[in-house]
Amino acid sequence: MLSHSEASENFIADAERTDWHDETLWFVRAKRDNASKVLPEWEAMREHASQIKDHTLANLGEYLQAFEAKAIANGIHVHWAADAEEHNAIVHKIIAAQGSKTIVKSKSMLTEECHLNDYLASKGIEVVDTDLGERIVQFRNEAPSHIVLPAIHLKKEDVGETFHQHLGTPKGNKDPQFLTEAARQHLRGHFLASEVAITGVNFAVAETGEFVVCTNEGNADMGAHLAKVHIACTGIEKIIPKRADLAVFLRLLARSATGQLITTYSSHFHKPREGQEMHIVLLDNGRTRQLADPKYKNSLKCIRCAACFNTCPVYRRSGGHSYHQPVAGPIGSILAPNIDKKANADLPFASTLCGSCSNVCPVKINIHEQLWFWRQDLMEAGLAPAGKTIGMKLMAITLANPVIYRIGGSLMRRFSSLLNTNLNPWYKQREMPVAPKESFQEWYKNR
Amino acid sequence: MVQESMSARDQILGKIEALEPVNHPGDFKGASKDFDFRASLEVVGARVMTTEELAIEFPGRRRYDKTLDGLSLAEVEVLEIDGEFGVAENGAIWLTEEALPHRVAPFICQHLVIHVKKIVPHMHAAYEELKKPNASFGLFLAGPSKTADIEQSLVIGAHGARSLTVIIHA
Repeated sequence: MLSHSEASENFIADAERTDWHDETLWFVRAKRDNASKVLPEWEAMREHASQIKDHTLANLGEYLQAFEAKAIANGIHVHWAADAEEHNAIVHKIIAAQGSKTIVKSKSMLTEECHLNDYLASKGIEVVDTDLGERIVQFRNEAPSHIVLPAIHLKKEDVGETFHQHLGTPKGNKDPQFLTEAARQHLRGHFLASEVAITGVNFAVAETGEFVVCTNEGNADMGAHLAKVHIACTGIEKIIPKRADLAVFLRLLARSATGQLITTYSSHFHKPREGQEMHIVLLDNGRTRQLADPKYKNSLKCIRCAACFNTCPVYRRSGGHSYHQPVAGPIGSILAPNIDKKANADLPFASTLCGSCSNVCPVKINIHEQLWFWRQDLMEAGLAPAGKTIGMKLMAITLANPVIYRIGGSLMRRFSSLLNTNLNPWYKQREMPVAPKESFQEWYKNR
Repeated sequence: MVQESMSARDQILGKIEALEPVNHPGDFKGASKDFDFRASLEVVGARVMTTEELAIEFPGRRRYDKTLDGLSLAEVEVLEIDGEFGVAENGAIWLTEEALPHRVAPFICQHLVIHVKKIVPHMHAAYEELKKPNASFGLFLAGPSKTADIEQSLVIGAHGARSLTVIIHA
C-alpha cells in the first residue's frame, strides 16, 4: 500500500486535473460559506450542536439503551456488533434468511469501513450501490474518494467511458444529464426487484427510537420502501437524545456539506411499513476505545458533512484515494489511526495543521489539534515514517550542541546540496535559496 | 444469534464509562425568522403554481388511495398529495405516511404535486409541530430529486420525482 505522500505524488502528476479537483472542492467550500453566513445564528448553532454531542457522549450508554428499548417497541429489530466481522455476519444472516442474491444499498461509509460488499460477494450476494457517485466508483472497482461526493476524482469523460462499458451508453457521450438518466433507468430495475435494502443512518433518536436518513437523490427511500427487508447500519455515535435536536443538526448538515438549505429528502423511519421487516445494526468497531480517550473522544461528534475535506489544502491537492481509508480528509486522518495505528501512521502527517478543518466543523471538533496529538502518539510508539524520525533526531542533536550546530551550519552554507536528499522531502518541489557566505554569528563578530 | 448479539451488547455497554456530566443545552433559541417560503422553494428547484396553472400544466394528475402497492406506483406519471406544512427557511415540506398512498409514492412517481396550507418559519418551529405522536414514517421533502455526482453538474431527476410543483393555500 502506498503511503499518503507516495499516493499524492501520483495524484498530482496530472497538474491540470489536480487544479480542477482543488478548484471544484474550493467551490463547494464557498457554497458552504454562503449558506452559513446568511444565518446570523450560525456560530450559536455550531456551539449548540457541539454541546448536544458532548452531552450525548457523556451519557452514551444510557442513550443507546433508551434508543434500543424504543426501537424494539416500534417493531424494529435491534442488533449489536462489536466489530466489522460481527456486523457483516449479522447483515449476511438477515439477507440469507430472505434467500436474496442481489440487494440494493444506499450510501453508508460504515459499510465501507466494514468492507461489507466484499464480504457479501464472498457469500455469493451482489450488492448494488444506488447512490449515483457510488455506483460509478463501484463499476470501476474503486473506493469512494469523498464521503459526500464519492466520484469527485473523476471527470465526465471517465464516467462516460465507464457507463459505455457497463451500461452500454454510446461511446463518447459524456453529458451528465444523459448519463444520470441512464443510471436512473438502470437502477430503477434494481429498486423494483430487490427484496432487501441496506441504508446508512444520519441520526438515531433515543427519545423516539426512530432514525433519519438524508439523501438528495432519493435512493435510500426508493430501496427501503420497496424492499421487504430494510437493514439500517449505524455507528453507536450517531445517537442524539431528542427529536427536536434534529432541527439544529439538519440545518447544519446540508449547509456545511454542499451549501444546500437542506438535503432533498430527510426521511424519519419510525416503524416498519406494514408487512415489512426493519433492522438496525449498532456497530462499535473501536468507537468505545475512542470514547475512552479524552484526547480523541471529540472525533465521535462527527456528522459526516465533509466540510473539513473541502476546505483542506492537502485533501484538495492529494485526492481522497491517497488516504487509503473509506473516510479520507482531516476527519478520516484522526479516525483511522484508532482502528489501525500502524497502517494509518502516515495520515496525521497529511496536514499542514492550518486549522481550517476545525474552523468549518459544524460540531466544533478540534480536528487539527487531534492530528497533532496523533503525531505525538505515533512518534512515541515508534510508528512515524523512518525519514522523519531520523531527521528529527539529527535536528535535535544539532540544535542541542553549539559546536555541531556551528560546524553543521558552515557545511550547509558551502554544500547546500547536502540538504537536497530523500531525507528531506521538503525540497522535492522547491529550489534551494542561495546560502549567505557567513552566519549571523560570524557577521556579528566581523562587523 | 440472540446469544451472540446479547454478548456484543454487553461488551459494548460495558466498555462505555460514564464521562463527566455535560448538560443538554435545551431547545435552540435565537433562530432568524425572516424567511420566504416561495424564495426557498425556488432555491431547491420547486415550482410554485396557482390551481389554475396546475390544471393547465398537469391535466392528467390524480390522487391515489392506499390500495396500490409500491411496485404498481412505478407507473404513476403525476401524483398529487397534501403536505402537512412547509418550512420557510429551506422550502422543505413535511409529509407523513398517513397522508400518502404508500411510503414510496413521492419518490417513485415521475412528477409530484404537493398542496401546502400551513407554513412555519424554520426547522425549530417545524419540530415544535412534530411534538405530537409520531407518524410511522415521515419526511422533509425539499424540491425534486437531484444529484451533482458527475463533475458537480446539477442534474434534476436522479431516482425520485423529476419535478416538484407546490400549490400554496396559505
